Amino acid sequence: MTQKKKILVVDDEVMMTRMLKRSLEATGNYEVQELNHGARALEACRTFMPDLVLLDVMMPDMDGGEVAAALSEDSELNAVKIVFLTAIVTKDEVPPTGADISGRTFLAKPVKTADLVACIEAQLNRQAF
Amino acid sequence: MRWSRKPIDNRMIDSTAGRTAVVHADRPEQVLLVDDNATNLQVLYQTLSGRGYRLLVARNGRQALEIAQKSEPALILLDIMMPDIDGFETCRRLKQDPRTRGSAVIFLSALDDTGNKVKGMQLGAVDYIAKPFDPDEVIVRVEIHLKIHRLEAQLARRNRQLEADNQHILAAMNEGIFGLDIDGTVVFVNPAAVCMTGCSEQELLGRPVHALGLFGGFGACVQAHPFYSCLKEGRICHNEDGELTRRDGTRFAVEYNCSPIFEDRTLSGAVVVFKDISERKQAERQLKRAYTELEKAHRELRDAQMRLIQAAKLESVGRLAAGVAHEVKNPLAVIQLGVDFLAGVESDDGVVSEVIRDMEEAVERADSVVKGLLDFSRESTLTLRPGDINQVIDHALHLVDHELIQHNIRLEKQLDEGIGIIDLDSNKLQQVFINVFMNAIQAMGRDGVLTVKSRVERIENPDRAGLDRERFSAGEPVVQVEVLDTGCGIAEESMVFDPFYTTKPTGQGTGLGLSVTRKIIDLHKGMIDIRNREEGGAAVRITLKMG
Ligand SMILES: Nc1ncnc2c1ncn2[C@@H]1O[C@H](COP(=O)(O)OP(=O)(O)OP(=O)(O)O)[C@@H](O)[C@H]1O
Ligand SMILES: [Mg+2]
Repeated sequence: MTQKKKILVVDDEVMMTRMLKRSLEATGNYEVQELNHGARALEACRTFMPDLVLLDVMMPDMDGGEVAAALSEDSELNAVKIVFLTAIVTKDEVPPTGADISGRTFLAKPVKTADLVACIEAQLNRQAF
Repeated sequence: MRWSRKPIDNRMIDSTAGRTAVVHADRPEQVLLVDDNATNLQVLYQTLSGRGYRLLVARNGRQALEIAQKSEPALILLDIMMPDIDGFETCRRLKQDPRTRGSAVIFLSALDDTGNKVKGMQLGAVDYIAKPFDPDEVIVRVEIHLKIHRLEAQLARRNRQLEADNQHILAAMNEGIFGLDIDGTVVFVNPAAVCMTGCSEQELLGRPVHALGLFGGFGACVQAHPFYSCLKEGRICHNEDGELTRRDGTRFAVEYNCSPIFEDRTLSGAVVVFKDISERKQAERQLKRAYTELEKAHRELRDAQMRLIQAAKLESVGRLAAGVAHEVKNPLAVIQLGVDFLAGVESDDGVVSEVIRDMEEAVERADSVVKGLLDFSRESTLTLRPGDINQVIDHALHLVDHELIQHNIRLEKQLDEGIGIIDLDSNKLQQVFINVFMNAIQAMGRDGVLTVKSRVERIENPDRAGLDRERFSAGEPVVQVEVLDTGCGIAEESMVFDPFYTTKPTGQGTGLGLSVTRKIIDLHKGMIDIRNREEGGAAVRITLKMG
C-alpha cells in the first residue's frame, strides 16, 4: 500500500480549509494539513513537507502568488507542486479540472470534489516523472 | 342660393350688361309708331310728342323691323291692319329676333274683339289700344309701359350683374362645385370642378352624380353613394379624407362637403363643394415622416445615453464584480465541497439524496449568476467613434485628480494638440488610462511626478520601435501616449499583463487591471508595453492606429 500523499491547504477562511481537509481525507488517499495564514506557509511546508500545496490566491497577509514565489525560491521546497484556488475567474476561463495560466495551475471556486481530486492527481503524477 | 340650369357665357353677360347700361345713360327712351295710315301716324305723333321721349315712325311692317333692329326702341305702337306684313306677323318677327325681343309691343287696331286681343298677347304684346283712341288713354298706357319696361330693364341689368358677380366668384374659386337636383343629377359645375375632374362640362351636366364615379368607386349604386343621405334625408355629408377619381382614372385626395338645398322648406337638391387636399396630404405625410425620423433620432439618443451610463457603470461594476465574485464564490466553494462530502456518506434515506441534489443545483445557479456578473464587467465589444484622445486622457486625469492630490503627486502634461480626431471607444480607453494612472499612483505611494505625453509618431521600423510588425507597417503614422512615473518600477516585466498577477495587498488589487487594459488596446488593434525607466519608475507606452 502506497503512502498517503501530503497536502497543505492554505486559505484565510477556516471554514474553507476545514471543508477541504474533510473532503480530501474522505477519499482515503491524502493526509491534509490546514493553514489560515499565507505568511506562515513556508514554515509549515518545512515541517510538514507536503507533496502539494493547495493555495488560495487572495489572502489578506500574503497572497497565493507570493507564497508560490517564495516556495520556488527555496531550494528544498521548489519541487513542491502548487494548485491555485481562485474565486475571480469564471468557469469559461478555467475548465473544471483546472487551467494553466502563466505556468501555474488554477482551479475556479466553487470546485466539485471530484474535479479537485482529478486536478491534484494530475499534478502529483507529473511529479512522478 | 339658386343655380341656373345652364351655364352662362361670361362674355355675353359682360357685353350685354355694358351696352344696356350705356343706352340708358346716354339716350332718351324711344317709342316707335307703326301705321300705314299717315293721318293715324300724325295723330299719334302729336299726342306723344314733347313728353321727353324720342319718337320714331314706320309706315309698314318691314320698315318697323328695320328701325327696331337699329334703334332698339323701348316701346312699339303697332297697327295690326297693314298691307304686306301685318301687325301680328311684325310682332312675331320682333319677338323672334333677340335684338328686338326686348321692345314692348302695344297693338293699335280697330278690330276691337277679344279674339284679336288674345292673339296679340299670345304673340308677346303687352297691351292693346282700340281705335279710335282717346289721346289721354294712349299717353297713360304708353307711360305705364315705358315705366314697366324701364323697371324690367333695370331688373334684368341687376340680375345680369349679380349673375356675373356670382360667375366671377365661382370661376375664381379653387374649390370645385357641383349643383345637384333632387335626383342627384348634375345641374351646375364651376370651372374648378371641370379642371379637377378632368371631365368637360358637357360630360358632367345632366348626368346623375353617382354614375360619374367621381367620389368613391360605388359605380351605379345610388344608395351606397356618399351624397345619398344628403339628397334623401337632407343631412350634411362631410368627408375630410375623401378621394376623387379623375376621368383618366388617376386619383387624388379631396375634402368634400355635400349640403342640402331647401326651397320653401322642401329638399330640392344639394350642392357639393370639394377641395384638392393632395398637397396638404403630402405635407401631412412629410410631417409624419419627419416625426418618425425625429422619434428615431430621439430613441437613438436615448440608447446612446443608456450605453454611456452603462459604460460609466462598467468600471465600477468591474471592481464590484471581482469583489462579489470573491465574497460569494468562497462560501459557494464550501457548500459545494460540503454537498459532495455528504453525498459520499452512506445513507439509504432517499430524501437525503434528494436534498443533496437540490443543493447542488442551487450552488450551480448561484455560481452562474456570479459568472454573468463577471462577464458583464468584461464586455469585449468596442463602440468606435471619432474622438479626441487628449480629451479622453484629460477626462481620466480628472477622475484620478483626488488621488494625485492625496498622494502629493505632481502632474506633468505634454499633450500634442495637433493629433486630431481618430476612431476610438472613449469609454473603454478612459478605463485604460484610469488603470494605468492608478497603477502609477500606487507604485509611487507618496510624492512623485506623473508625466503624461501624447504625440503623433511616424514608425520608421516597427521592429526597432518594439512594435508588432503584424499590426504596424513602416512609415505608418501612429498616436503614442506615454505614462511615466517615479515609483518603484515593475518587478517582473513578463507577468504584469497576466490576469490575477498583482503585487498589491488583498483588497487593493485584483491583478485584472492591466489584462483588461491590454484587451481593450488589442480590440483597438493597438499595442501597450511597459518598461522600467533608467532614472527609476515605470513607463507605459500605448500605441494606437490613426486610421
Ligand atoms: N506603474 C507601475 N509601476 C510598478 N508596477 C506596476 C505598474 N503598473 C503595474 N505594475 C505591476 O503590475 C501588476 C499588475 O497590474 P494590474 O493593474 O494588472 O493589477 P493590480 O494593479 O495589481 O490590480 P487592479 O487590477 O486592481 O488595479 C501590479 O500589481 C504591479 O505589481
Ligand atoms: Mg492595476
